[in-house]
Amino acid sequence: QATATDRAVGFGLVAFSLALFAYYTLWIVVLPFIDSAHAIHRFFLPREYAVIIPVVAGLLLLLFIGVFIVVVTWKSRKPAKKSE
Amino acid sequence: MTKLAQWLWGLALLGSAWAALALSPPGLRLPAPYRQALLPLPVYLLVAFGCYALATVGYRVATFNDCEEAAAELREHINAAWEDLRRRGLRF
Repeated sequence: QATATDRAVGFGLVAFSLALFAYYTLWIVVLPFIDSAHAIHRFFLPREYAVIIPVVAGLLLLLFIGVFIVVVTWKSRKPAKKSE
Repeated sequence: MTKLAQWLWGLALLGSAWAALALSPPGLRLPAPYRQALLPLPVYLLVAFGCYALATVGYRVATFNDCEEAAAELREHINAAWEDLRRRGLRF
């Protein structure tokens, strides 16, 4: 049996990604077919955000990864003159 | 054909199918809700794949069973190697 925290975190991740998938699927695939007067539209942002938010999040992720690589590479260079 | 070439071919096919349907070429009249749902489809598939990856990682973290004996054995190996290196002069 995995530790309790492992299981909590693991199943938490599963639940979170299921919820995210359900919400996003509703937003992108289902909502266009629902009459614009229906109350369900109150729970969703305007449609443009369904593309803007993931794209911005993806760019931020790439930025973070790039910065991380630069920092790690910078720290691990061997100085030629100093003898540390 | 290499795996990369296969993947690129598949992506190119799907991409051109999507472009043909979604970018309103003259002569094709899909009903409006279908076009509205079709247009963000690449982003949607990316997000869906991300969710799947996250869920798989989470599930495997949750179901990876602890192996107490293997952990104890590994700790023993580590300490033995530690001792050995210390005897040969490596100081931490």
